[in-house]
Amino acid sequence: MRRLTRFQGHETAYAWLMSAPALIGLFLFVALPLFGGLYWSFTNKRLISPLPTKYVGFQNYQNLLGLQIIRLEPEIDPATRQARIDAEGNKIYPRTRTIVRGNPAYQGYREWFTSDVFGGRYVVIARDPTFLRSLINTFVFVLVIVPGQGGLALIMALLVNQRLRGRYVFRTIYFSPVVTSMAVLAIVWTFLYNPDQGLINRFLSAVTFGNFQPDWLVSADSALVAIIILSAWQAAGFQMIIFLAGLQGIPQSLYEAAQIDGGNTWQQFRHVTIPQLRNTTIFVIISTTILAFRLFTQVDVMTKGGPQDATVTVVFHAVDTGFRQQKIGYGSAVTVLFFILVVTIALMQRALLKSDVEVE
Amino acid sequence: MSANIAGEIDYRARRGQSRRRLRRFLILVIDYSIMIGLAMFFLFPIVFMVVSSFKPEKLIFDDLKTIAWAFIPREVTLENFTSVFRRVPFGRFMFNSTFIVLATVSAGLLVNSMIAFALARLRWKGKTAVLSLVIALSIVPLDAIVVPLLVLVNEFPWIDGSIGWLDTLHVQIIPFVADAFSIFLFYQFFIGIPRDFDEAATIDGGSPFAVYRRIVVPLSRPVFATVAILQALFLWSSYLWPLMATRGEASRPLTVGITSFYGQDVKWAQILAFASMITIPVLILFLLFQKWFVQSVAATGLKG
Amino acid sequence: MKHKALSIFVLLLALATLMPAGILAQDMVELELWYHGGTQEENDETRAQVDRFNAMQDAIQVNFVELAGSLVAGTGYNDAVNAAAVAGDLPCILDLDGPNLYNYAWAGFLAPLDDYMSDELRADILPSLIDQGLYNGKIYAMGQYDSGLALVGRVSLLEEVGLRIPTSIDDAWTLDEFNDVLASLQALDSVEYAIDLKMNYGAGEWYTYAFSPVVQGFGGDLIDRETLSAEGLLNGPEAVAAMEWIKSLFDNGYATLTPPDDNEFINGNAAMGFLGHWMATGYYEAFGDDMIVLPVVNFGARQATGMGSWAWSITTQCDNPDAAWAFMEFMLTPEEILSITDVNAAVPGRLSALAMSELFGEGGRMNIFVQQLESGIAIPRPITPGYPAVTSAFFTAMDNIIKGGDIQAELDAAVDKIDQDIADNDGYPVQS
Repeated sequence: MRRLTRFQGHETAYAWLMSAPALIGLFLFVALPLFGGLYWSFTNKRLISPLPTKYVGFQNYQNLLGLQIIRLEPEIDPATRQARIDAEGNKIYPRTRTIVRGNPAYQGYREWFTSDVFGGRYVVIARDPTFLRSLINTFVFVLVIVPGQGGLALIMALLVNQRLRGRYVFRTIYFSPVVTSMAVLAIVWTFLYNPDQGLINRFLSAVTFGNFQPDWLVSADSALVAIIILSAWQAAGFQMIIFLAGLQGIPQSLYEAAQIDGGNTWQQFRHVTIPQLRNTTIFVIISTTILAFRLFTQVDVMTKGGPQDATVTVVFHAVDTGFRQQKIGYGSAVTVLFFILVVTIALMQRALLKSDVEVE
Repeated sequence: MSANIAGEIDYRARRGQSRRRLRRFLILVIDYSIMIGLAMFFLFPIVFMVVSSFKPEKLIFDDLKTIAWAFIPREVTLENFTSVFRRVPFGRFMFNSTFIVLATVSAGLLVNSMIAFALARLRWKGKTAVLSLVIALSIVPLDAIVVPLLVLVNEFPWIDGSIGWLDTLHVQIIPFVADAFSIFLFYQFFIGIPRDFDEAATIDGGSPFAVYRRIVVPLSRPVFATVAILQALFLWSSYLWPLMATRGEASRPLTVGITSFYGQDVKWAQILAFASMITIPVLILFLLFQKWFVQSVAATGLKG
Repeated sequence: MKHKALSIFVLLLALATLMPAGILAQDMVELELWYHGGTQEENDETRAQVDRFNAMQDAIQVNFVELAGSLVAGTGYNDAVNAAAVAGDLPCILDLDGPNLYNYAWAGFLAPLDDYMSDELRADILPSLIDQGLYNGKIYAMGQYDSGLALVGRVSLLEEVGLRIPTSIDDAWTLDEFNDVLASLQALDSVEYAIDLKMNYGAGEWYTYAFSPVVQGFGGDLIDRETLSAEGLLNGPEAVAAMEWIKSLFDNGYATLTPPDDNEFINGNAAMGFLGHWMATGYYEAFGDDMIVLPVVNFGARQATGMGSWAWSITTQCDNPDAAWAFMEFMLTPEEILSITDVNAAVPGRLSALAMSELFGEGGRMNIFVQQLESGIAIPRPITPGYPAVTSAFFTAMDNIIKGGDIQAELDAAVDKIDQDIADNDGYPVQS
């Protein structure tokens, strides 16, 4: 073992010395806030308040995750002992709020949504419906963006990887939104998305003769879609470059071999390109997932989480409660849950995806 | 659509089959249609932004009524740009953003590559522990720690004796110098460099730092370039942190500069001029370096 | 490569430390002032006022800082103030939007102004401004002007539809009349829709400022002014009716949810405008005598309109409050008040200034604003340290409602949020 002695015993000292700046930085600006946040999440600490900070145990977490389902019973007409029925023949139910406010067990809860299933009316009540909605929105965003944007990026990479005239120009064009700040693009797209006077609806109106003009950011049905389109548009070029690097790393000999075996274009793609891109794809999936979970800028600039919480995300909720509403303790609890969520998913993805990498 | 349509096309064409030639032509047409369609999709917001920034405010809305005019600068004015300069210290914002990016990236390249070198090339006690720590921390999203980080940096002392880092340039730089993901990229690259080179230097009596500086760094240009570009892109568009940690114009970066400009007295022509002034310089930089960038990414092994 | 990067870093660091260094005369007191932004014209004039103050004496130098802001209190400005308050880094002189002062005063950021204000000055200040500045018996902020919320219209269009044009608050349109006006204007070919409601300001203080008077006009309110709870008021049948009416404006196409900017009335898209004083000057310039300021509609239960505007305050983090007051005193001179209100068309904050004003005096073009303030139909936004939560709950609910949310459910949620905030803060106990 020559290596042990090659630096005459200074190796450990040098190693620590060269690691020190990064370790100090990671400790102060990543580890410390992480533990600080964990600590504060058990308090009611506020950003600005003359009131003293108190230890509140798991109260913040209970408020975030508090969720109950109540079954509503239709109102009974005392005379007929039958359920009362309105003009349209539907059963009349009591107001959820009356029930929630009337029962101490439901204190601090409010209606999230109501659903008529299994022949009864069920109300889901939550302490912070916005947080639960933010979880759902974030998952929807991730589940659409990861395959959608990744697929678009792969198609673009395949296109510009062909030895066609002008491929550099196209590559540059596809990548250009990546180098532009999201804050800038979100403002520009807000203008483009204006339902009456924006470029996008002017265009859609011309193409569909006025039959298709979504309200984009203004409607709860389309706001998240609008944000997804902008996000994919902005970032697809980045994944394209990574796929492109992956494609260029595939040995040409594999394609030649496939051709000799009589494989057509599709078969070559299926049996050479896809397996060879496995590592690249894994990298793209993992990195896009983590980035997608952090959705914030577009939401903050364009919709502030609205309308009707349709675009609220976990990070937005953390900033909104922890910073804007100044509830540091509560916001910290949101970020702790967010951290647990992202780490869990990252570890799961790694475990699932890496297991078959070894085959390669 | 395959990576290899072109290769295949060449091969078939050489065999001179006319039916194949028609097919080749059709594929080419389809390919270009898709590529041009996508190009229009990716370009239209930016072109619209730049073109409109040269138009008088009223004309932007008039021209939107007919889509074609929206992309043609039929009347050119620089007034939007001069208004932006009059209303906000654009130069200051530009300096702040540029400074933050350059300072963080250059310090980060040094700091992160040094620890990666120690992890990848040196033998020392605690190495495994440190490496696992770095990998674990690389998962921590910045967004998960901003709220507590804000409270913490507010308590940190600074070299001039003052307490609290808020509303400064360094609060936007120092926390982002050490970056676990960058360390990880450096580590992956360094571990692949053959060790024979180190040994040559060792025989010459060099210290580990000399090996790092004279051998590893010169051989690792692609990874330095990739990390620099990734970090620069991230920092340049950084929004959440400066939004929370700064307030005055003195330390405000461009991203917060434009969103606050957008928040007050909306004049779209000026906003688009502001947006163009942020975007165009970076696009030009990218155009100059794009080929180099793609090669770096390929060489770094960012692809997994 | 490393060396180059390192030397660039060192160079830049050196550059950054040199940048902020300013050269100052020895015995000059330097004060920082934060300003919210405002319209371009307003902003320019406020800057000019600061310059005038700096030029007329040698002892105090006020440094004007314009922050991320908006015409009405936006999250941008409030975020910045909050961040500064945490950092103990507030300026000496802080510009704040009326109702936020109660929270800041409760938290202990603002210094009371009572000891500085002479009886003379106090007697000359517009009573509505005193009301807005008071928290817990002390005055914490003083504005140069109060705001005016009004309808504006064009005489030519109103005459074209042939309906009655009110001239004072006493003969304001009733709800039915107003609905007729909107329907008739909507039918005109020369405009795209009846009224611009300034929805371009987005979900924020504008909603509360402009539309909580509608709720009050229908008989509801944001919160009970005594108990501070919102239960029964913000989610009562009156508030629901108000929201139904507001929503109907959009459903009928009388108003758009997405005006791209502030110019829908000027460029002729909208026949009327519902707006704050700050747009009135520009509109008058565009239409001249064709533009008319109309009194707010009488919705039935009572006549109500908004009030309260940006005001100057001195923070407790100020080392030189006396110097800061000297500046405020200058800003509160009738001349300076008029110089800004001539630009932004706000109601001058002193009776003496009001008397001198052509715009606002008896028979003046903007006299409606004064009538609204003096007759008591202008209602201050709730005086409570919990105001930030109140306004945020209200504008979020309203934003959801006009974009399709269920009215009762949204208002209930707003009430829950307001009451939850009071509980979170132990009922906002008065700090001594």
